[in-house]
This record gives sequence, C-alpha cells and structure tokens, in this order.
Amino acid sequence: MEPVTAQVLAKDRVGEWIERLMAEAEVIAPVLAHGGDEVFAPIRSPGEVLWEFTNPVHPPKRFLLPQTDPVVAIRRGDNGYELEAIVDERRRVLLNVRSCDVAGLAFLQHVHAADLPDRSYLERAAATTIVCLSCPDPCPLGFCICSGAGPFAREGYDLQLSDIGDLLLAEIGSERGGELLAATDGFFRPATLAEMAQRQQLEEKAKQLLSEQTCHFASAMRRVSTGRVAEDLWRKMSDWCLECGACNFVCPTCFCFSVKDRHNGDGWLRCRTWDSCQYPAFTLEASGHNPREERRDRIKRRFFHKVSAQYYQRDGMVGCVGCGRCVEVCLGTTDMPAVVAAIRKGEWHG
Amino acid sequence: MTVVDAVLTACPFCPCGCGLYLQCDDGKPSGVAPSRHHPISQSRLCARGWGAHEAPAWGERLTEPLVRRAGGLTPVSWGEALDAAVSGLNDVRATGKAVGVLGSARATNEENYLAARLARGGLGTGDLDSCLRGTYLPLARGISRGSGGRAPQGSLVEIEESEVVILFDGDLARSHPRAAFAVMQAVARGARLVTVSCLRTQLARLAATHVRVAPGGQQEVVAGLIASVVEAVAAESMTERRAPEPAAEMAEDVKEAGRWYAQAERASLLVAPEAAVGNSGEALGFALASLSQAAGHLGRAGSVVLPLPVRWNLRGACEMGVGPDVLPGLRPLDDQAALDRLARAWGRPPASPVGRDAAAMLGAVGGLLVVAEDPPSPLRHERAAREAMSQLDCLVVLDAFMTPTVRAAHVVLPIASHAECEGTCTSADGRVQRVRPCASPPGSARPGWLVLAELSARLDLPSQFGSAGEVLAEICHVIPAYQGLDHRALDHGWGAVVAPKSDARPVESFPQVAGAQRAAGDGSYLLTLDGVFDWGSDPLVALAPTLSRDFVSKRKLFAGGFLEMCSEDAEALGVRPGWPLRVKSRHGEATLPVMVRRELEPGLLLVPFAFREQAEGVLGGDDVVAVQATRPAG
Ligand code: SF4
Ligand code: SF4
Repeated sequence: MEPVTAQVLAKDRVGEWIERLMAEAEVIAPVLAHGGDEVFAPIRSPGEVLWEFTNPVHPPKRFLLPQTDPVVAIRRGDNGYELEAIVDERRRVLLNVRSCDVAGLAFLQHVHAADLPDRSYLERAAATTIVCLSCPDPCPLGFCICSGAGPFAREGYDLQLSDIGDLLLAEIGSERGGELLAATDGFFRPATLAEMAQRQQLEEKAKQLLSEQTCHFASAMRRVSTGRVAEDLWRKMSDWCLECGACNFVCPTCFCFSVKDRHNGDGWLRCRTWDSCQYPAFTLEASGHNPREERRDRIKRRFFHKVSAQYYQRDGMVGCVGCGRCVEVCLGTTDMPAVVAAIRKGEWHG
Repeated sequence: MTVVDAVLTACPFCPCGCGLYLQCDDGKPSGVAPSRHHPISQSRLCARGWGAHEAPAWGERLTEPLVRRAGGLTPVSWGEALDAAVSGLNDVRATGKAVGVLGSARATNEENYLAARLARGGLGTGDLDSCLRGTYLPLARGISRGSGGRAPQGSLVEIEESEVVILFDGDLARSHPRAAFAVMQAVARGARLVTVSCLRTQLARLAATHVRVAPGGQQEVVAGLIASVVEAVAAESMTERRAPEPAAEMAEDVKEAGRWYAQAERASLLVAPEAAVGNSGEALGFALASLSQAAGHLGRAGSVVLPLPVRWNLRGACEMGVGPDVLPGLRPLDDQAALDRLARAWGRPPASPVGRDAAAMLGAVGGLLVVAEDPPSPLRHERAAREAMSQLDCLVVLDAFMTPTVRAAHVVLPIASHAECEGTCTSADGRVQRVRPCASPPGSARPGWLVLAELSARLDLPSQFGSAGEVLAEICHVIPAYQGLDHRALDHGWGAVVAPKSDARPVESFPQVAGAQRAAGDGSYLLTLDGVFDWGSDPLVALAPTLSRDFVSKRKLFAGGFLEMCSEDAEALGVRPGWPLRVKSRHGEATLPVMVRRELEPGLLLVPFAFREQAEGVLGGDDVVAVQATRPAG
C-alpha cells in the first residue's frame, strides 16, 4: 500500500508524543536490559526508548502470542465444569518495530484470520497499534530484501517512522495510524516534497547496502516443492542441528503451539504454549508412534512449511521475513540462509 | 539501565552456564528470552533453557511448612516447623545415632554452603554429601592432582577456537548442548574432532576420528594417546637421543589423534560425565592431566581441559564443601589454615572427621536433612535407598517441588525454586553467576538460604545473614578461589570466573587402572547403564510439560524398563523394537523389551539409568557386565 500521506514531527517533541501514547495504551518498545541487551518491553518513560539499535533477538511477537497464554479458565461449577474464554483486549502500541517484524505480524494476522479465525489472537491484534521504524542501516545478519520484508515496510503498519535528521517522518498505513496523528494535533505537520524525497533516498541507500545479501528463496522453492532435495542432504544437515527449537521461537512467522492445562486455585487454566516442530515430541502420537521421529524429517518439514510453493500460495509469502534471527540463535548451523543455500546447491559443507 | 518485565538469570539445568531472561506474568514464570550479550550463551539456548519457566509454574509446588502428625503431613507455622526440624534432629543425636546432610546440584552456592556449614558447624557431622558428587569430583580431583592444580582450565568459548578437540563423549548433544555447540563450531571452523565413546553420537558423526571403546575403556585410550604424544614430541625434539618404544598395540586412529593433539597450538580435552565408569573417575582425570601435560597444553592459553558436571550447580556444590572428605573450597579436612579460617567465620570450629557418602549415609544415619534432592533417584540402588529413607527417625526436607522424598519426610520446609530465589551458581568452566528471582515464592515458601540460616541459628551456630548476598560475602571470605569475585561483574556484568585452585602439591604417580572386561565370542554383549545423565530424572525437566513429553511417553510404554541395542545387533538376533530379549550374566538374568538406538556401537546393550533396578539382577552391582543375549523361546 502506498502511504496515504506523510507527516513530520520534530525529534525534540517525540517524548511528548510518546507520553500521549502512554496515556492511552501500554507502549512496548526496544529498551536496554541487563548488560546492554536490547529487548522489547513495556516502557515506563519515553527516554527509555531506543532509536538506534540492533533489532532485539526476541521478536515482539510474544506480546501477541505469548509463550504461555491462558486461553480458557476451567472451574468446577454446580452443574459440572464451567468454561470461560480469557480475552486480552489491553491496548498496546508496539513502537519502533522493524519492517521485518511488521511483515511477521502481518503474516501472523493472515494465518490467524484464515480458516478457523483464532479469536484469542485476533482480539489482541485488534487492540494493538504497530509503529514501524524503518531501517536506513540494515542489520548485520538480516536479509529482509530477499523476502521482500524490508528494509522499509510496505504494509502491515499503522505508522512507519523514518529518521530524516532533525525530524521523524511518519507515513500513515492505516486508518488507525491516521487517527493517531490526528489525536496528537499540533505535534505533526504535513511533510514537504523535499522531506518525502529524503525518505526515498534513505530507502534506496539501504537497499543498496543490502544488495550483497542473498538468500535465494525462488530456486530453493523449486527444489523443495518438487521433492528434488536428496534425503541424504537432509540427513547430513540434521547432524548439525541440536534441536533447541530456538529457530521457531524467535521466528516472527512461527506460531505452532501445544495445549496444556495448569492448576489454578481449585480450577484450571487451559494454556496455549509455544512448541517447536524441531522437537521430537511435536508429532508424538498417543500410541507412542511418531511419524517424524528422525531429526532429518523434522528439518525437512520445517523448510517445507517455510519455503514450498504450496505454502507460498496459501500464505502469499515465504514463511521467512529475513530478520536473520535464526542465524543468531541457532545452536547448530542449520539456519535459514545456510539451508536455503544447501538446498540450492545440493550440498552441505557443515 | 531499564527495568523490564523479565530478569536475567542463570539457566538452571546443565552446568554450561548460559544466561537467560525469565519472564513473569500474573506472578508466575511464563516464558524465556535469550540474552544477546551473555558471553556463554550469546543469543543461544537449548530446549531446556527455553523451558526454564515451566517447572516452577507447572510443577506441584510446596507452599506451606508441613510436619508429620498422626494423620500424615500437616500444615504448621514456620516457627513450629523449624523447631520440629531441629528438635527432631537433636533427638536422633541424643540417642547416639548419626545425622547427615545432603546438599544438591539443584541448589545455589549459598544453599550448599549453608548446608555444609550446618553439617560441620551446627550438627558436628562429616556425613555430608550430594548425590551426584561422585560423578564429578573424583574426575576433577584427578585432573587437579595430575596437573599440580593448574586444571581444570579453559572455557566453552575457547573450545570453539581449538584446532583439535578430543571429546570423551556421553552424548553431549543431549546432556550439555552449549558445549556440544562449541565442539560443532570448532569443527565448522576446521578443527579436527576426535570422539571417544561407546556411542556413535551426533558429535561422533562429525568427528575426523571416532575411537570406539567399551564402557570404562576410556583409560586405555588415554594411555594410548599419551604414548602417541610422547612419541610425537620425542620425534620433534632434537635433543632426544632415542624415541621411546612405540606402544605395541596402539591402534592407528589413537596414534594419529595423539599426533594431532601434540601438534596443535590450541587443543581441548572435554569430558562428559559418562566417561568415568564406576570409581574410575580420579584415575581417568589424572591420566587426562598427564595427557595434557605431555603435549604441552597444560596451562597454555587457549587450551582446554574440562570435565563437565552432570547437573547444574554440581561444581558449586562441591566447591562449597558439600562432600564427606572436603572443607569449603575443596580443602582437605586436615588443612589447618582452612579450619582456622572457618572457625573464625562460624564462631565455632568445624567438625572435620571424614564422613559417609550419600549412599553409605542411607541406612547408617538416623536423621537426615535434605536440600533440594530426591536422593534415591540419582543413586545407583534406588529401591534400597528409598527403603532406607523410610526407616529414618527424622527426615527434614527443603524443596520447592513435591517429590517422593518430600512425601516420606517428617518435616517439610518449602523453599523458593530457581525462578524465585537469589543466589549464585558456578558453571562447568568456573563462571560464578547470579540467580535472580522473577517472581515471589508460592504461598509461604521462603528462600532456601534463609531457611538454612534459621535452622543453623536454632542449632546455636551463629548465622546472622540478612540476604543471600551476605552469605556470598562469607563464602568469599572463607574460600580463597572465591575471594577475588568482582561484585560489579556479578551485578552488572555476566558473572566472574573463579581461577583454578592453585595447588602446589607435587604431582602424584600414575594410578593403576583396571580395564573393563571385554565381551568375546558369539551372542555375547556388554551390558551397562546409560547412566549419570538422565534427562528425565531432573525434576525441572520431569515437571516441565514441554520438556518431559518424550521420556514420559517412552516410559509409559515400557514401564517395566527396556534395553537399547543398535539396529545391526537387533537384526542379527532377529528382534524388533518392543520384543523381549533375555540377557544372562554371571550374576543372573532378566528379560526386557528391546528398543533400537541407532547411535550404539555393536556389541553393547544399554539400560536407561531410570530402569537400573530392572537390570540389577544382571548387573549384580557391577558397572559393566558381559552377558549372553538370546530371544526367549515361545
Ligand atoms: S535453531 Fe538451529 S539447532 Fe536449534 S532447532 Fe533450529 S535449526 Fe536446530
Ligand atoms: S546448554 Fe545448558 S545452560 Fe545452556 S540453555 Fe541448555 S541446559 Fe541451559
């Protein structure tokens, strides 16, 4: 979607603007945690918000899809068990989310709205405003350009901010984004053509910086979708995975879960909990049979879901936004770019 | 610095020392996030690390002090419970029976230190141990003796830079994933990996050379490596007149591995806990130090000699003095300077007799204080241990979780879990890190250090600790290696590394090693326990819904136990998974269903540690036995 309009805000007034946001909603932004770790967290004051930072290794997806998410309260009532859906409609603003994560959230929205709409997810998402901060200096491990998810977002945001010197330029991506600006009357003014051009230049420059990054999804997709990846290649690669599940947990597009009941007072909470397709028990059946007992089959499955044409058609994009997080967290060497390259070349070096 | 909805703490499972953020929602731990700048984990965590929030939130928690009354365990006030614990233990002592104390690899340094202090200072007993100590301390001690105190040395991160890694493997990918990753990184960067194991594990498949050994046969390989190193070094040395006689039967792969090790600039020796079978730990450790010394790697920057404790804070527990024959700081019991230092700090001289180890204590003592452990589950003879526990006159248990030991207790003192307590832990490579609470303990549970301090005070051992930090201050005061701990690094950085103990005693002579009997002939196998590391016996795994699924399902299917063999052997015997197999040793026989494990070497049968009782008739107390395996008729 083309930006409807753009406005600008003087940087020295950003704090006031964020205070306004905080009055209306929980504002979640990248901040510094222990020892300089960058994390997304609810802020207590505008000064905490980071504006120049490496994207946190833990994506903001957990605010919409927590690792442990109580979805139903179960109580013993007079007439048997009583069930009550747990709905979280807390208003949140996700501030300074990078374009890869914006694409990830758009993907999750699509998945949870399709087929059987997932109310728990959708209500949280409906109460969440997404403010993107574009990437003029692409991050060291990212390859968003290969999956079309960055360095500037094209859709999926309410506002997209770009740093143009003394000013922040805000593009409006949704009605809600427009309202956000309207409500803060006096802070923003319409952008000039020169300011718009400046933002355009930033994007061109960032794209050039990213042009070295190559994760050739298309050719990997051809091979994966037509079963032209040798079994032996999966086997070799699987020896370089320690099945930690981190690739799934930090992936902005992964959403698989398990369901567990937890004691809570004299009742239970039915929780949705993160699960990983790389865990042997992910497909364990009650009989004890496991259709994907071998790690090579699990890796194969993961990449089939991520890059096959079948899923591309269903979801409208590959299941990867190029954030580079799996490269950073992999407790092995089988991250997305490495495996895509191996599939393309038909060989694995280790 | 910003306060966020998560706290940085140390991963509570294995001793690799990863850091992670524990998140908390509605008063309960709810998730985990990795730390990018943590020097060990560096954005990475294994499956268990990612599940560190689960056991505290999902496990059955102890929320109030309990005392056994006529009707069973009954809730009481803290004051009553502490009095009952102390009077119970004192009553036992008054009858002339011994009382013992068990610390734990699952407890913090502060808890372990106070347990040791309470035993030697408050109860005046040397019956003090942790159940897993025997899997680590002998090995570490052997390495220390063999190196004049200059090892263990090096860190997991340094392994990644090694040119040669010799791994005495159990199955690091399962037991110590961060260490496995370090090995993998080294290989990816071009290092030569040598694995020595009876399993062709995942890492063995990445190895340049895999040396297969029978369980307990690691020592022979080390001896071979030493011979090869000596030969290689002599060949290089111009002053040496005559190269030593090459060891007659040295296998070519061992010889080559020794040459690689001798020639490398930076090389690592990494020892999984399974490598030391039975009581061979100290001898193996000594031999490893000798190997490192022969090749010139001992004390060399970048070279690593590291034994891996089997569970979280086992190294810390040992260093805090939880053991029948050591004082805090691993000082010998007759170290007068250490005794004096302790006496000054405690206001009372420590009792310094050699005590009984955990297994020997059960059945010998009348009273027992247990900190965060279900002793029978890691001990070799589980049934006998449980029986002995049930015979105790007074069993006092501090734990965060409900365990069979808690059910058998006379006094139950509920303490905070790793997610709710303050303290420190010590990793395999000696990094001391803070454990930080992300939530309050449930109900009226209290921090373990506080409960131990209160018990100590009731035993007239001065214990004026206002915080876990004050306990650490005393630790730093009495344990020389911990003296230099930089508190800024603990609080704001990523912990501080304790230097290897500098022990100036002369290197002792090479101990004699008894090799394991080898299986020979047709239908004969070696049967042993797949021991020490058992994924499911850690309550933090067993109580975590995501982490416990695999072994729960396997153990449900085969509740009576099973044995594992490789597919070639299964084929040769004509058995399929789930089919029964009869195994017969000189001690006796048993019939167990078979599971196929791809990674096993042919000729080997493994019984998971959890099913040791089912195989006891065949093992007869041995660690490795030769057996005949046959398909039962019919
Ligand atoms: S992050 Fe790497 S090691 Fe962990 S499960 Fe994924 S591919 Fe395997
Ligand atoms: S490797 Fe060990 S310390 Fe690291 S996350 Fe896994 S269990 Fe925790």
